[in-house]
Amino acid sequence: MLGLAVAAAACGGEEEAAPPAPPAETEGEEPAPPPAETGEEAPPPATTEEEAPAIPVGGTYRVDWEESFGFTGGFDPVGEYLGEAFGIYSNLLVRTLVGYRHVEGAAGNELIPDLATDLGTVSEDGLTYTFTLKDGIKFGPPLSREITSADVAYAFERIGTESLVAQYGFYYTVIEGMAEFTAGEADTISGIATPDDKTISFTLTAPTGDFLYRLAMPAAGPAPKEVAGCFTKAGDYGRYVISSGPYMLEGSDQLDATSCDTITAAKGISGYDPNTQMILVRNPDYDPATDTTEARENFVDRFEFRINSNPDDIYNKIKAGEIEDAVASEPPKVLREYSTNEELKPNLHINAGDRTWYITLNLTQPPFDDIHVRKAANLVMDKEGLRRAWGGELFGEIATHVVPDAMLNELLADYDPYPSEGYAGDVNAAMEEMKQSKYDTDKDGICDAPECKDVLFVTESDRLRQDMLPPTTSSLEKIGITLKVRSIEGAYPVIQDVSKNVPASGRPGWGKDYADASTFMVLFDSRSILPTGNVNYSLVGLTPELATKTKAKGTLEGIPSVDADIDACNAIPVGDERLNCWVELDKKLMEEVVPWIPYLDASAVQITSSNVVNWAFDQFSGTIGYAHVAVAG
Amino acid sequence: MGAYIVRRIFWVIVVLLAVTMITFAIFYLLPTGDPAVRFAGKSPTPEVLEEVRRQFGLDKPWYEQYWIFLSNLVTGDEYGWPGLGFSFDTRIPVRDELIERGPRTLSLAIGAAIVWLILGVTIGVISALRRGTLLDRAAMGFALFGVSAPVFWLGLMGLWLFAETGGGPDWLHFLPGTGYVSFSEDPSGWFTHLVLPWVVLALLYAAFYARMTRGNLLDTMGEDYIRTARAKGLTERKVVLKHGLRASLTPVVTMFGMDIALLVGGAVITETVFNLQGLGAWAVRATFNQDLPAVVGVVVVGAFAVAVMNLIVDIVYAWLDPRVRYQ
Repeated sequence: MLGLAVAAAACGGEEEAAPPAPPAETEGEEPAPPPAETGEEAPPPATTEEEAPAIPVGGTYRVDWEESFGFTGGFDPVGEYLGEAFGIYSNLLVRTLVGYRHVEGAAGNELIPDLATDLGTVSEDGLTYTFTLKDGIKFGPPLSREITSADVAYAFERIGTESLVAQYGFYYTVIEGMAEFTAGEADTISGIATPDDKTISFTLTAPTGDFLYRLAMPAAGPAPKEVAGCFTKAGDYGRYVISSGPYMLEGSDQLDATSCDTITAAKGISGYDPNTQMILVRNPDYDPATDTTEARENFVDRFEFRINSNPDDIYNKIKAGEIEDAVASEPPKVLREYSTNEELKPNLHINAGDRTWYITLNLTQPPFDDIHVRKAANLVMDKEGLRRAWGGELFGEIATHVVPDAMLNELLADYDPYPSEGYAGDVNAAMEEMKQSKYDTDKDGICDAPECKDVLFVTESDRLRQDMLPPTTSSLEKIGITLKVRSIEGAYPVIQDVSKNVPASGRPGWGKDYADASTFMVLFDSRSILPTGNVNYSLVGLTPELATKTKAKGTLEGIPSVDADIDACNAIPVGDERLNCWVELDKKLMEEVVPWIPYLDASAVQITSSNVVNWAFDQFSGTIGYAHVAVAG
Repeated sequence: MGAYIVRRIFWVIVVLLAVTMITFAIFYLLPTGDPAVRFAGKSPTPEVLEEVRRQFGLDKPWYEQYWIFLSNLVTGDEYGWPGLGFSFDTRIPVRDELIERGPRTLSLAIGAAIVWLILGVTIGVISALRRGTLLDRAAMGFALFGVSAPVFWLGLMGLWLFAETGGGPDWLHFLPGTGYVSFSEDPSGWFTHLVLPWVVLALLYAAFYARMTRGNLLDTMGEDYIRTARAKGLTERKVVLKHGLRASLTPVVTMFGMDIALLVGGAVITETVFNLQGLGAWAVRATFNQDLPAVVGVVVVGAFAVAVMNLIVDIVYAWLDPRVRYQ
């Protein structure tokens, strides 16, 4: 699917979703057969009211993955940051206190109760969140026992355990006592209380408006200590994930969980082989009464995810009905076929990807240390040309600001501080802006200083980025900036190394972790600047002290900071006020800081086979809404 | 002969040492960045980065890492012997990955080698014996096609024509298409999944072998001892097979040994097109992902195969050509 190039984190979108239809046992359809391995009766999908739409129950949903699963943490929920993995956990395998509907658009970004009876209660000072767990929710085989508040608390202990390398552990450092636990100064996290099996509360060190979103991340899902506790190295539990959702890894019931010795001797649950496949079957301990059809309908009996290195073969199989779906880059000819052939069009799904692609400008490096040059570069850029390089309109909307429109409830949909006819760039306006720059000494609108010649521009060596070069270079040349392009296989490590002092790059893109603009603001937070692995490419908020630590060179004085703005927005609870705060910060970034040239608000494109009779896009994870898919009988 | 083999085994060890050391050096000298960054999340704290480095063993100087690698290779590690560590990417022991993927690549390499040897030598012999005829021209035309057609194109065309999901005529769709089925699981599935990759890969090599066999045989058949053999009244069949072909196959054997050995390191394109998930495709992905243990694991297997095949080739030489003697 599009956006595969950036591995981490989920993506989202905008359309208003129709409420998902409840499942049915109609037209002679048999209810789901019992799982083969247990012999127990399979739990029917969750149902509502007495409606009976004609969506078949049963069958297998087969998805081919290109090249590899690409997991970042071996599929251990604590270390896993891949949007595709979020999709599997959240839809099928790991329930969290609060969760999502797994549908497209705004409805898919809204939180609903999952393990908890409601969205929790928040203390008046905004520091304590308390939840009650629903009755009857169990871990799947081999444990088949009730999930308690201690299991949820244990998930946070795993997040705080350094050796397990929690990849988004920074979201939870706001919990009181997390730092002490991580440092080994405490045996438990003092800010998490479990007064009984059904109650859990979190006390925070500061009001954190988006804390509920953080609780909906897969790492926060319950983990059984008797299995997960057997592993002390990052990624190892990934082959033993015990289900709390409607499906489980095939062969989970064969795992001997008597002791850590028997568990580790199994070398993983048989249904998951990181090299070849992951097979999920119904979890016999899942009780649909504890769930809602809003969140999960669970039509199919089985999911088969297999690795396939040949994308042509993947899409041939989809067309032939041998598989239903893919996590792969669609070859251009396939996209053309599905977007032009009326018969195939219904199988092409385009959704908002909640991902922005942009050209980054380093505020410390000339000529981009001058805001007028940055503004002129925004004005002159042929964004439509860049989108054409991607493949055209199918690939997304032109981006005119930082946070994807869908995540700001379209409040900035008409906002464009650097407008131009057909997004082709406005040379006159750019030249007017350039005249105000110190690098345009004769004030003719063309940069004539030596700093504008042969400016280092780092990009990827793949075809897409190479196709982006002509519109990029020719646009900037119109205002006197010539680029010295360095194309690298794997450009991220280079541009994420602050000491390389890269002035500009056409490589980056960023997707949300959850539907709050705060997940984009890490890109401008000076506290996230690191010597290597740095994602604040523009070095917004860099101070001379920080520059010394990170070996940044160039203009180090007077770099604007938005740290205080970020903190102010973060303290506001989720709602209109918070949203407006982010909107204003986005505008400030685009007008007063100008760290980027955003050009694409990317779509998520998916192609399915005609076997698929019900399909959904999970806005949270930016991938297939597995919880709602159904196949023809 | 025994002393020769011992000496050669000693050189195998030296080659392995040199190759692994070069791999380590390349990994650390090339400016590809810190591999830990890739596995530490989107905005990692210095502590998380340090922990990833520690678990991956990247917190030590490269020469120390290399020493640990050598020690584990010889004595084994927590995953067994030989100790090759675990893949950064999949977190599974490299040893297990090699055991899983090795048979796939071996199945492809050996099957294809049998096909190209039979095809190439047969075409070469026929072409040499029918020199200048239509048959010779057709055979060399085939050889030219095999050399010229890219493997990925042949693979895609093969799938289009013969695989169940292919777009060609339905009556030709008698093969299951991509993927791998292990021999122990289903021998006929193993064969039907591999026959197309074998043929596609073999076409390229068969073309080379046909041309080489033809050229060598033509040269040999002009030698004095062939004339003598004929003069002694031997049948043409005996002259060709016993005297001509045997001598002309010596360079073919050299090439065959090296080709097989190189394929053990992975036939990347064929593995990718046919989704065989063998060593080659894994090695390429590991290189892009800075997965050092996986890269080194495949390098060790590849280097070992090249060294062993060289040894076998030298031994076969002695059988084929009595003039070769080992001191």
